[in-house]
Amino acid sequence: MADEEGWLGRFVDNLPEQGWFKFLSNHFVVPYWVWREPKAKLPGGPRMAVQPGENLQRMMNLVMPLKDRSPIGRAKATLALGQSVDTLYAGLDNVGTIHFARFVIIENNLCMMSVYDGDFDSYVRDFIVSIGNVFDAVLVHVEGGDAVIPTKQNVEKFVDWIHDHDLFQMPDFATDLFDLQDEAQNLAANRAPHDLSSLSRALVLQLHANPNFALGSGFRSYAGYSAAQIRSTFGMGW
Amino acid sequence: MSEDLRLDNVQGNILRGYRSNLCHVRHLILEVTERSSARRFLGAAVSGGTAEVPRITCATGWGTLKPETCFNIGITFAGMRALGTPEAMLATFPTEYVDGMAKRALKLGDFGDSAPANWSAPFDRTDRVHLIATAYAQQPEQLDQIKAEVAKAFHVIDFRDGRTRNDANVLGPAFRGDGSPNNRSFFGHADGISQPRFKIDGYPDINSSQPTSPLGTVLLGYDTPLEGIRFRVPMSEELGKDGSFNAFRILAQDCWAFENYLTEAADALLELERVKGPQVLPAGGEKAIRPGLSRVGALREVVAAQMCGRWRNGTPVDTSPFHPLPTDDLTSATLNDFTYSGETTCPAGAHIRRVNPRDGKIVQRAANHTRRLVRRSMPYGPDFDAANPDDAPRGLLGNFIGASIGAQFEAVMCDWLNLGLHDPSITRRNDPLIGANTPETSVFDLRLMEGTPYRLRGFPRFVRTKGGAYTFLPSLRAIRFLAELPN
Amino acid sequence: MLVRSIGRGLVNWVMTGGSSIYDRLVDSLWRPDGPKPEEKRRPVHTIGTGASGFFAASDNAAHFCTAEHFQKGRTVPVSVRFSNGSGNATRHDGWSDLRGMATRFHLDDDRQAGVAADLLAITVPGFFTPTVDEFLDFAKWALPQPYLRQSPWYKFVKLLNLEQPRRNPYPRETISPDIGAEAFADRYDNTKLPVFLDASIGAPASFARAPYHAVHSFIVTGSDGARRHVRFNWQPTLGVLNKDPQQPPEDVYLERELRERLAAGPASFSLMMAIGEGGDDFNDSSRAWSFQRRRVFMGTMTIDRYADDQWTDNEHMSFNPCRLVDGIEPSDDPILHARRHLYEVSRLRRGAPLCPFARS
Repeated sequence: MADEEGWLGRFVDNLPEQGWFKFLSNHFVVPYWVWREPKAKLPGGPRMAVQPGENLQRMMNLVMPLKDRSPIGRAKATLALGQSVDTLYAGLDNVGTIHFARFVIIENNLCMMSVYDGDFDSYVRDFIVSIGNVFDAVLVHVEGGDAVIPTKQNVEKFVDWIHDHDLFQMPDFATDLFDLQDEAQNLAANRAPHDLSSLSRALVLQLHANPNFALGSGFRSYAGYSAAQIRSTFGMGW
Repeated sequence: MSEDLRLDNVQGNILRGYRSNLCHVRHLILEVTERSSARRFLGAAVSGGTAEVPRITCATGWGTLKPETCFNIGITFAGMRALGTPEAMLATFPTEYVDGMAKRALKLGDFGDSAPANWSAPFDRTDRVHLIATAYAQQPEQLDQIKAEVAKAFHVIDFRDGRTRNDANVLGPAFRGDGSPNNRSFFGHADGISQPRFKIDGYPDINSSQPTSPLGTVLLGYDTPLEGIRFRVPMSEELGKDGSFNAFRILAQDCWAFENYLTEAADALLELERVKGPQVLPAGGEKAIRPGLSRVGALREVVAAQMCGRWRNGTPVDTSPFHPLPTDDLTSATLNDFTYSGETTCPAGAHIRRVNPRDGKIVQRAANHTRRLVRRSMPYGPDFDAANPDDAPRGLLGNFIGASIGAQFEAVMCDWLNLGLHDPSITRRNDPLIGANTPETSVFDLRLMEGTPYRLRGFPRFVRTKGGAYTFLPSLRAIRFLAELPN
Repeated sequence: MLVRSIGRGLVNWVMTGGSSIYDRLVDSLWRPDGPKPEEKRRPVHTIGTGASGFFAASDNAAHFCTAEHFQKGRTVPVSVRFSNGSGNATRHDGWSDLRGMATRFHLDDDRQAGVAADLLAITVPGFFTPTVDEFLDFAKWALPQPYLRQSPWYKFVKLLNLEQPRRNPYPRETISPDIGAEAFADRYDNTKLPVFLDASIGAPASFARAPYHAVHSFIVTGSDGARRHVRFNWQPTLGVLNKDPQQPPEDVYLERELRERLAAGPASFSLMMAIGEGGDDFNDSSRAWSFQRRRVFMGTMTIDRYADDQWTDNEHMSFNPCRLVDGIEPSDDPILHARRHLYEVSRLRRGAPLCPFARS
């Protein structure tokens, strides 16, 4: 049979699973490419779009490293939030554009995952007005948080800070990554066409620049409706 | 609040419209090619002007001596950089201003025909748009004079002329209380009626039931409508205060498509009436709209009124749902003292209700009155005659002024004007008059007499963006600082 | 627009001396290892299997579409043809390939020549190119070439470039369109996503365990007169299940699997319909729509019989993506309109029966 796998072929086919090859890749190959084809850190949050479906039920994945990485430190951050539940609910109901929000502490990172409608900046600004003091109480425990406290007097800075800590959302269609990377370098889309096989490298290098990221824009069971529309439809008032 | 306001430090066009006597405007789009001559010009302009340099008009009251011309400037971020603003100061400007309007296109609904890739020159090269200097005059020749003076210090890439369109027969007497003539947009509606009201010493106070706005709505360095919040003052506390931001937009209006659609919608309503009787206008109601108007003509007016929220002469639909009030009876109170509380007859999706929900119930419960904009806009292009339609370029040269582009202009554009997020009955729908509509997906709910909705579909985008820029309207102190920057 | 496309076809026919662009397109699809012309089989999706069942509309479907098969309480018989995408005349079920499911909704008692609506779907969410001209180009590029194992040294260099080496050829695989398709995708942005998805699609464990996308936009008219641009896709009720790509591929199993499955019980699919929004390109079928569109559940298709007569109900059938009924119209997608003619050309060459178009 013409196509027989020789021992060398089998060896190379199995390379990606070999420990020593993984070591070589992580410590030499990837850093080489990071130097040769650097990728800018891509901004976090959902990308601007005109379709209503893109502007409703948007995902925020906020990752805020804690200053104090001990159980006591985590407890302090927890208490700061736990004492603010009433404030949080008042804020939620009055801003009116949040579907869900949850706070999670993972590996000394305080994360806020939320699903919201509309303009990110307006949503943050409206929250500063209504629950800015909760932000201030929590940000004390977060790395870099001091620079934006009190949030009411650092509105633009805080909005930018949140953008920075909101995770990059990998495009739902993998090949769109090329366009995002070109745009970040101010290149016109597909001006220098990318080889499809270079997608894996583009992905690896992007995940070097954005080590934390969201896989796509998220899954929605009943996409396309605002929080107020759902409340209104089910007779709960808005 | 207004005690520490120095009117001589604020550019005049922010706090007042000049239309009482100056009905011609020219926006000069400038590139800084020679930094020192640009600075010299600014230095002279801010110090009272010379024989060869127009004077920057400030906000001090005019008294009885009205100027023959007025002159103001706005600077883009590229322009601030071109003028040599120190990097540390450049870093204090908000992100949306630094990005520039072209980069924010998808947030503003500027796609397809309205995308920056399709903008007319000079806005196809946004990196070259450094300043937008605006001259106001009684006569067009005076505009030429100012343009020549400016051209000595800047490269005038292009300019755009606007004019007041005053139709005294249709519109009422001075309804703003300051004698300024009315303006009519090319879709026929009286325009520029409602502006934020400020309590400023020396400025006429218009009696109105509408709340006054805090000064920080439109000037940097003062309390804003968002409780407890102040926006960052760019450059420095001293220099940035009394400045503002402007969204300048060239909005082309498709009058033919608008009139056409009104007819289409009216025909459908007429059909409905044949089967079910009057739905949206009482029988015989056409007489009250205009004597001699046909039924279908009246239905067209109803559609135009409900889409806008005002009848063509400015009567609010909320106040009078079935006919405009007689023009002679219009006062600033009738035109502006209304709100959408309770059972209002104005559709939730109407244009003026989207951009200013007043006291109406909205999803963002604390946001009423927080996204006001000062509008200084002028029509451009020749009059449109529906009997002899042409496709000459015409539309609005828009200036949407506020202390924060992000919190006001952009927030209105992307959440209220488009998307309709503030009311679940209109969420996912765009403004029928100026929204980013496509005929395959557009929807507007008319309000029938009994209060139920009647769905209109299939209307195209009537207003396209043909160019624009975010500019900073610096205080006079800031302009002087820029003029005196060392080389 | 249909008249326009037929008119264009006529012009092309004249210009190319009697051979229309659609003839040339169909000609361009034949593989050297494809069926012989005298066999009268399809140039692509050559190998397939017929089955039948019924479709029951959901309670809300009628609001969105007035077509008969979507009316409330309505259950209509369906004929389906599952297929492998390849034009290879030899069956290789286990080779990575997109699959097809063509569905005919029978709207009257005449199963052969009666009123019917077709819905053609494939297991990738987008077509390869947005326009016909680009597709002609793509077909030329994607002509099967000799497919050899990449040398170990070349593969090693690819790994050092953080790139995936080319998959090893399957046993008995000598030619493949994949090399040309990828070279085309390297240059043409619109084709990158479809080729990327197609390359990694693998083989389903069953025809009944794969998702099928109708790819093109249609315009459905609702009971309130509203017209909406939509895209249909079928979701297997039991979920998606693929064969393990690490295992050597099985050449022949899908037909047997389906026959055995249906003998033991029915297989079903949910018909989902995504509604397009202002800003979406309704006429570019090479771009899948975002997942953030509203998805309406339109009904359930239950397949319960393996076709006894695989000639009449499989080989000899002719589906057409433009065979529609009142309530569903084609969008202005040029590929959708081209497919109307392509399928006609193929049908004529195969001598398959004409089912009259209910709407022209």
